[in-house]
Amino acid sequence: MIAEMREALQAVLGSEPSEPKLLAGGASKEAWAVDAGGERLLVRRAAVGVIHRHTLSLADEFAVLEAAHEAGVKAPRPIAYIPDLDGREAFVMERLEGETIGRRIVRMDGLPAELPTQLADELAKIHAIPRARLAFLQEANLDRMVDELDEVGEARPAIELGLWWLREHRPPPREPVVVHGDYRIGNVVVRPHEGLVGVLDWEFAHVDEPVRDLAFALVRAWRFGVPDKRLGGIGDVEPYLDRYNDLTGLDVRAEELDYWELAGNVGWAIGCLTQMQRHLSGLDRSVELAVLGRLGAEVEYEICHLLEKVAA
Amino acid sequence: MSERPTAQELTEAILEFLGGEILPTIEDPRLRFRTLVAMNALSIVYRELERLPLEDDTEQCELAQRIRNGDVPPGTLARVKRDVAERLRIASPRYLETYGKTAPE
Repeated sequence: MIAEMREALQAVLGSEPSEPKLLAGGASKEAWAVDAGGERLLVRRAAVGVIHRHTLSLADEFAVLEAAHEAGVKAPRPIAYIPDLDGREAFVMERLEGETIGRRIVRMDGLPAELPTQLADELAKIHAIPRARLAFLQEANLDRMVDELDEVGEARPAIELGLWWLREHRPPPREPVVVHGDYRIGNVVVRPHEGLVGVLDWEFAHVDEPVRDLAFALVRAWRFGVPDKRLGGIGDVEPYLDRYNDLTGLDVRAEELDYWELAGNVGWAIGCLTQMQRHLSGLDRSVELAVLGRLGAEVEYEICHLLEKVAA
Repeated sequence: MSERPTAQELTEAILEFLGGEILPTIEDPRLRFRTLVAMNALSIVYRELERLPLEDDTEQCELAQRIRNGDVPPGTLARVKRDVAERLRIASPRYLETYGKTAPE
């Protein structure tokens, strides 16, 4: 397989690639590190038999990456889309140097104090991408979460409580924008001292309320064991929120961010169940997915904790 | 209380992982034998779990449905939080500690 892959890559890149190395992680997509023509490259390729609802095809993800790059978002440079790379679709992009593992980022020596405002800078640029530039993106709303929960068919009173509160306390809707959909520590490349150098994992991009995207980085599961730093285990929310408001001209209030932080937790609690279902249904057998079904209780506990705070 | 995956389903996932991904990579004959023994022990657990009655989840289903219908009497949140904490004591006991004093007894 590796020989076929090298041949196909050479045809696209025009120079001989090094031996592709499969990188760890990423259940739904393969990631291969390759060097060619003196450049560090990453090949993102579909994994076998994995179908995710509400995620983009690699062709669409590549188009989003191109649009983000054009808009000046710090992101890997898109290089080529390959409809058939040894039997599956793939694309090639620049392989950025830096840390992507959340657990390591929150404990990094030399983590710059600017990281929260850097995160706001890139998000503001993403939200400014014209919708017409990516007309194929679907619009999402809160009802989709209920449908996903019903499809799994497990009774989860904590998730129901979260959904109920979200229905009862909905802030006035904001103009939907192009959103990243999974904007958090773990999906960005960070270097010591320099901070944020790239935004990764665009497969959940869609059109949605901007504050939903803004608040997702606050979800406790993505603080990687540093719960006191509410912004992704790396810093405070205030500089992040202030910078985002300055750049976008929006006036997102702290309570609105609280609302969408809860929504992010409800979404991820349901996400744990849908991941579990992929294992149980036989679509993608894996201990990792199975155990997420149990670890979802952590997210349900956080939902209760947040509900207690808003009720107080 | 209902919990998925069930203990039996988790055991099955581990057995598949050991047999499908770990065993084929083991070349040391002694380690290979010991892994087969471990898998056999785990299949005993699997079959034993099979004989246990399924837990009754009627109450959780009814509670979930009531909340879905907007019927949320005072005290619901405290009760739900207690139930989730109970499940966490099995699934991830150390996670509760990250909440410090706010974790219920």
